[in-house]
Amino acid sequence: MNVVVVFAHPSADSFGQAICSTAVNALESSGHNVSLLALYQSHFSAAMSREEWLAYHGETPALDPDVAAHGALVRNADALIFIYPTWWSGLPSMMKGWLDRVLVAGVAFHFNKKDKVRPSLKQVRHLVGISTYGSPRTYIAFMNDNGRRIIMRALRVCTGWRTKRTWLGMYNMGNSTSEQRDAFLQRVHKTLRELS
Amino acid sequence: MKILLVFAHPNPASFSGALRDIVLSCAEKTSCELRQHDLYDTGFSAALSANEWALHRSSPDTKQHLAEYFADLQWCDTLVFVYPTWWSAQPAMAKAWLDRVLAKDVAWTFPDGASRIYGNLKNVKRIVAITTHGSSKWVNAIEGEAGKRTLSRGLRVLCSWRCRFTWLAMYAVDNSTRYERNKFTQQVERRLMRMFHH
Repeated sequence: MNVVVVFAHPSADSFGQAICSTAVNALESSGHNVSLLALYQSHFSAAMSREEWLAYHGETPALDPDVAAHGALVRNADALIFIYPTWWSGLPSMMKGWLDRVLVAGVAFHFNKKDKVRPSLKQVRHLVGISTYGSPRTYIAFMNDNGRRIIMRALRVCTGWRTKRTWLGMYNMGNSTSEQRDAFLQRVHKTLRELS
Repeated sequence: MKILLVFAHPNPASFSGALRDIVLSCAEKTSCELRQHDLYDTGFSAALSANEWALHRSSPDTKQHLAEYFADLQWCDTLVFVYPTWWSAQPAMAKAWLDRVLAKDVAWTFPDGASRIYGNLKNVKRIVAITTHGSSKWVNAIEGEAGKRTLSRGLRVLCSWRCRFTWLAMYAVDNSTRYERNKFTQQVERRLMRMFHH
């Protein structure tokens, strides 16, 4: 499978980085073709520019060559994997910016005759989200778990209804023990190794 | 009334820009004090940096480059957001404002021995969000209204316990007519005038 891993964490020695390395190892050990998009490390620009906004409804919305390259990878992906820390119950702005700029018309969706949005990424068989949270799970549920909603629900506009969705959350990070964190890494490894 | 307006749209000549202008004119007509964070115009960085992440639990004095943003946030009693909803939530630029400006000992505190964070924005009595959605209201309801809940729950728990939340959203703006957009701007103006008068 062609697997695209989108990773957003500002620090190279964080638990998020450990999750990302574990995920990539697990996928490669199963023989998948992995493309890692490490947004902070590749200095991805998170904000959609004025020019991009003006071109959004035009023929070529992806003006930046990096953004177009990411779009091409997504077009060929059989699985999309998102790894990030949840901040203020949502995606870090870096990850949100990737969605805003890369998943544009012609890449992730198209407009039908009635001008309704229809999926263009029906070949994506798996949507996987992996995130760390500072707060306990009940608190996150009360906040509506907004990042998860975006990845697991809003992106279905692009993938259609048949895509399998998997969510792995490490809750209450601030009070976690190293055993709990190790157990979570093993869970990530096992889940992604079995992805098919 | 002390209003802090947070505006995030790449093009000031857009419909969101027009909605921002309504906030400005309503504040002027009711002689409310207003400060604005026009994030695109001021070149606000749209991502929390590695350095800022490392200083996550440090005092605000270590983040001098954000001092003015912190001061405005602690000064206001009404927070007004104007942004377009993309992928059912705030654009990266507006989310970056939340990620970077809601800092420790500004928006929240973490007392010694506490097991959770405590809100520190007792000054904020009302949050107003003015936004547009390309898709219809029921599509957004199914998707879970991530942007709305980020403000009405995620942000509001940091504010005064009496903090009110006002959601002024136009849905299905992609297929809207000029008449519908005018109607929405008039509604926004009416609501804001009534709100700012008090």
